[in-house]
Amino acid sequence: MSAPAEIGVERRGGTVIAHVAGEIDMTNATHLRDELLASMPNDALTLVIDLERCRYLDSAAIEVLFDLSRRLGRRRQDLRLVLPDGSPLSRVLELTDVGSAAPIHGTLDSALGQ
Amino acid sequence: MLRRRSQTHRDELTARATRQEAIAQLAQGALARRPLERLLDEAAGAAARELGSDYALVLELTGDGRGLLVRSEAGLPEGALQGVVSARADHHLGYALTAERPVAVDDSGPERRFAPSELQADLGAASAMAAPIRTSGRPFGVIAVLSRALHDFPEDDSTFLEALADVLGAAAEHAMREDDVRHSEARFRELADTTPALMWMTDAEAHVSFVNEGWLRFTGRTLEEELGDTFASSAHPEDRSELLIRWREAFQRRREFRFEYRLRHAPSGGHRWVLEVGKPRFAAGEFVGYVGTATDIHERRQMEEALRESEASFRDLADTAPVMIWTTDVRGNVTFVNAGWLRWTGTRLEQELGQSWALGVHPDDEERLIASWESALAGQRLWECEYRLRSHDGEHRWIVDRGVPRYEGHRFAGYVGAAIDIHDRKTMEGRLLEIYKREHDIAATLQRSLLPERLPSIDGLALAARYLPAGHGAAVGGDWYDALERSDGRVALVVGDVVGHGLRAAATMGQLRNAFRAYSLVESSPAQVVARINRLVMSGVEEAMATVLYLVLDRDTGEVVFSCAGHPPPLVLAPDGPRFLEGGRSVPIGATDPAVFREGRARLEPGSTLVLYTDGLVERRDAPLAERLEELAAAGASGDGDLEDLCDHVLAAVLGDAERGDDVALLVVRPEGAGAERIRVSMPAEPESLSGLRRRLGRFLHAAGASEAETYEITLAVCEAACNAIEHAYGPGDASFHVEAALAGRELAATVRDRGSWRARRSEHRGRGLKIIEGLMDEVDVTSEPDGTVVRMRRRLDAARAA
Repeated sequence: MSAPAEIGVERRGGTVIAHVAGEIDMTNATHLRDELLASMPNDALTLVIDLERCRYLDSAAIEVLFDLSRRLGRRRQDLRLVLPDGSPLSRVLELTDVGSAAPIHGTLDSALGQ
Repeated sequence: MLRRRSQTHRDELTARATRQEAIAQLAQGALARRPLERLLDEAAGAAARELGSDYALVLELTGDGRGLLVRSEAGLPEGALQGVVSARADHHLGYALTAERPVAVDDSGPERRFAPSELQADLGAASAMAAPIRTSGRPFGVIAVLSRALHDFPEDDSTFLEALADVLGAAAEHAMREDDVRHSEARFRELADTTPALMWMTDAEAHVSFVNEGWLRFTGRTLEEELGDTFASSAHPEDRSELLIRWREAFQRRREFRFEYRLRHAPSGGHRWVLEVGKPRFAAGEFVGYVGTATDIHERRQMEEALRESEASFRDLADTAPVMIWTTDVRGNVTFVNAGWLRWTGTRLEQELGQSWALGVHPDDEERLIASWESALAGQRLWECEYRLRSHDGEHRWIVDRGVPRYEGHRFAGYVGAAIDIHDRKTMEGRLLEIYKREHDIAATLQRSLLPERLPSIDGLALAARYLPAGHGAAVGGDWYDALERSDGRVALVVGDVVGHGLRAAATMGQLRNAFRAYSLVESSPAQVVARINRLVMSGVEEAMATVLYLVLDRDTGEVVFSCAGHPPPLVLAPDGPRFLEGGRSVPIGATDPAVFREGRARLEPGSTLVLYTDGLVERRDAPLAERLEELAAAGASGDGDLEDLCDHVLAAVLGDAERGDDVALLVVRPEGAGAERIRVSMPAEPESLSGLRRRLGRFLHAAGASEAETYEITLAVCEAACNAIEHAYGPGDASFHVEAALAGRELAATVRDRGSWRARRSEHRGRGLKIIEGLMDEVDVTSEPDGTVVRMRRRLDAARAA
């Protein structure tokens, strides 16, 4: 059984916000990447991935975050992440230095620059 | 000149050989089920390299068929366009897709068939070639190469690109089909084996690919005997040929198939009538076979036959029966009976004449007969009576006797009447009544059979359930319970009560139960599931109303989310005492649409038991509901640890000996694993094992009192080690890996073993996996042993949280 995840995408101005809920691992990470890339039209400036309701990320998922940042960078698009302070996932994102590829914000508002 | 030609020829041969090698490698990758993403990358790389092109791309047709999404590329410069391009046939890529063959553009300048693709324009490409990636259904997409310089594409080039495309098409189709079919079939089988009905599936060649446990129990045959080209092989020899004809007819037209026949029945050593219904199934729009059920209709068939026989014999009798005729005078004295009457009764005419009405009449019918006759006579009205009359052989037989007033001129002159022997029909009616009673029994059986025959075995969860039909004489009800594992790893529990009784309520219950099962698989929020069912019921032809408790339990965290549609609240037996879960209350299903369905949330402490029930358990006219709920809570709290015993205890304590006016369903559930000090898990070395491993670890760590962050981090570290076993340890096939986790004091030790050798840092991402393990655990040790690799990890749980 592949890992269960749901993506909800909304657009606010030049920003696409993707709410990712559930679990991302090697069985669905590339699928997630493709979905996210497909949800980014060329005229969008920023992709914000909201991980608040994400319960599990493994190294394949982290790899996808780096890959997304690279690919979006090529399109001149930004990637930002939202992870609430104190989230169980925080330490792993720190450990893998995901912040170097995509800035991590504690709230969606902060990621949207509000 | 000659030398030069042979040199070119040799170059061509070499080129062809390396290309064949590239195709073979890709095909091997596809056969080894390498992930599609990787195959796409390899194909793009090979296309650019072998065709000497600047860029190569693999694009996938989007869901709406209007765009092509870049899935993989080779040689594209930084910042070049990615994402979706048009799939319209007036552009190069769309044209190739429509043409269903490779389309080369040696020079885009004079190209007239189509406009250059957006990609071509963006990349400033002067030449390009694209080949469609075909599957047996909808095409997957396009593989394309582009170059800035003009390029002459010989036929070898297009053959090569087409070959790459074909391999990708097969791989893509396989991947899609596997996903679809594996998931839907695995789920189907799981459901099928917990259903008492007989179920089967065939593949697209009409070969039986699955029969459920119920079927095997019924026919007494083994799975091996039933699978393959075996359709109709368990049917009665007399029914077999017609069954096959009907089946083939339906199959060829992909139509629904319905047939009644006799199926081998091992428990009775004979055959039983079944109604078989088969429906074609489709995956991604493609016919993949049939799925069907067989329902035991033996009783019904027999009844129908008995009824047909009895009707036939009644008609025979009526035709040949002697007509018994009589007349009376104005005072009701019998003045005449015919020979038919005398033959039937065996009496003589003298006996019958005069006030002879009670003669030979069964004592039990005499009073009624006389009363009705006198009343009719007094009013000179039509008379009719069914009564038992002694026949010539001394036996009382039922007759229907009718008399009409007769007149001489305008003056009432008495009656003329005729009687007919209806004994056989009458007793047949007795049999009919019996049949109706059996109908009721069938409804009861149906009711029972619609409940899960056995609760599914759900890892990490103890379950027990009871269903009690309403007391004797009451009609069949529509209560049900169900439990199933959802794809997100949580468990859905349902208890419901269809308003009404009888066959219809039982059938509605069956439909609702299946609807809940279906929606549970696609919808995660309980309120949404209930809302969907409500819409289904409100839009349906059947009018139905039901109260339902739908609850989703996360075994890892003990978290429950529930929606209570007009249903009494669920009871939790926590270590510190019983409590009802409040919240999540709304109207019953089928009451109004739209309706607002709410959700309640709670968290079960480790060691808690959930008690779900229908109102037949607690509702009683002579006591207020609140009082009854208190009784239930007290009964639950005083119950045994064993769930089967707990069920019996609760039913006995709450219901007592009172006659039940309503049926009762009871489902008790307890997440297990609390207190376990050690788990051992062996799983197939495939990515699909990971989510199951996470659940097991999650429950173990939760029970050990680990915090949410600790649970995630340790689970991740163990799974990363398992990923390595999965990715590198073996080729495809028989492989498995083994995980052990144990708690000593507050120190957790975990071990992951496989039979391969570890290749650290094979990719950046795998290197990251090892870094994660090392970063999250206090101690990590990777040992290569002769028969495989062992990863040992330790981590101290936060002492402050120790229980």
